[in-house]
Amino acid sequence: MSAHPLFFAAASGGILSSLWDSVLSLMTQFDIEVPLLLAQMLCFSIVAVLLWRYAFKPVLANMEERQRQIDSGLKYAEATKAELAHTQQESAAVLKQAQLEGSRLIDEARRTAKEFLDQQQKDAAARAGDMIAKAQQAIDSEHKKMLEQARHEVVRLVVQTTEQVLAKELSAEDRARYNAAASREINAG
Amino acid sequence: MPASRPTQILARHLCQLSLVEGRVSADRVAAVLAYLRQHPPRQPVTVLKHYRRLIARQLARHEARVEHAGAIDAAILDAISTTLSRQYRRPITAAAQPNPALIAGLRIRVGDDLYDTSIAGRLAALTTLA
Repeated sequence: MSAHPLFFAAASGGILSSLWDSVLSLMTQFDIEVPLLLAQMLCFSIVAVLLWRYAFKPVLANMEERQRQIDSGLKYAEATKAELAHTQQESAAVLKQAQLEGSRLIDEARRTAKEFLDQQQKDAAARAGDMIAKAQQAIDSEHKKMLEQARHEVVRLVVQTTEQVLAKELSAEDRARYNAAASREINAG
Repeated sequence: MPASRPTQILARHLCQLSLVEGRVSADRVAAVLAYLRQHPPRQPVTVLKHYRRLIARQLARHEARVEHAGAIDAAILDAISTTLSRQYRRPITAAAQPNPALIAGLRIRVGDDLYDTSIAGRLAALTTLA
């Protein structure tokens, strides 16, 4: 069975009236005056508005600015950190490349020095060989020349001695016989 | 001073007149000299010098100068003369000339040709070869 709306309206009107009575009773018990309460509420509102407008709002703006600066600083620090890491990586790569290049240059310098040393040794050996060959050739030539001079001198001495001996020892008969033989040689032709 | 060309031609002509059968004749030479004395040329000294040189060359062509050390008899000279005349196909007379420096043997000069069979010559050749 359903209740009639008028019944509920009457019931709620009764509740509201009793609630209003309770409130009036409380206000009477606590000695609250409505105009005074309204004036205090108005003053509180005005103070709250003023505080909000001229105190809280700048402070909040300042705090937001600080927060924004802090965020920006943190972002900048993060970027700097990342850049530093990147730079460190690049530095490490450059250092490694420099080490490799340095090692390559050192190896190349060593190889060039070794080749130069080998070439110098070869040249020195060739020059020494050439000098030895020339010296040997000069010695041989000098030796040959000396032998030739000695032979000439020996022959000269032998011929001179022979001439002296023959001039002294040949008799007139020997000369005449030699002359006859020379004549026969010429006549024979 | 060298003889001029006419002087050389005159001296050569006089030399040709002095030859008999290709050999120098003493009579012809005497006649040429007598002619020059009677008819002197323009440059007599130059002509006579050139004439003398030509006559000496002609004499040398027919003379073999035989230098020798030690005795050499006439038979050897005759044999040399005969051999050289046959070889050069002209009469050549051998003239002996002593030269003790040869030690022994002969050195014969005919014109510009030289035949050396002397000991000194052979020793000199040995020295040269050494």
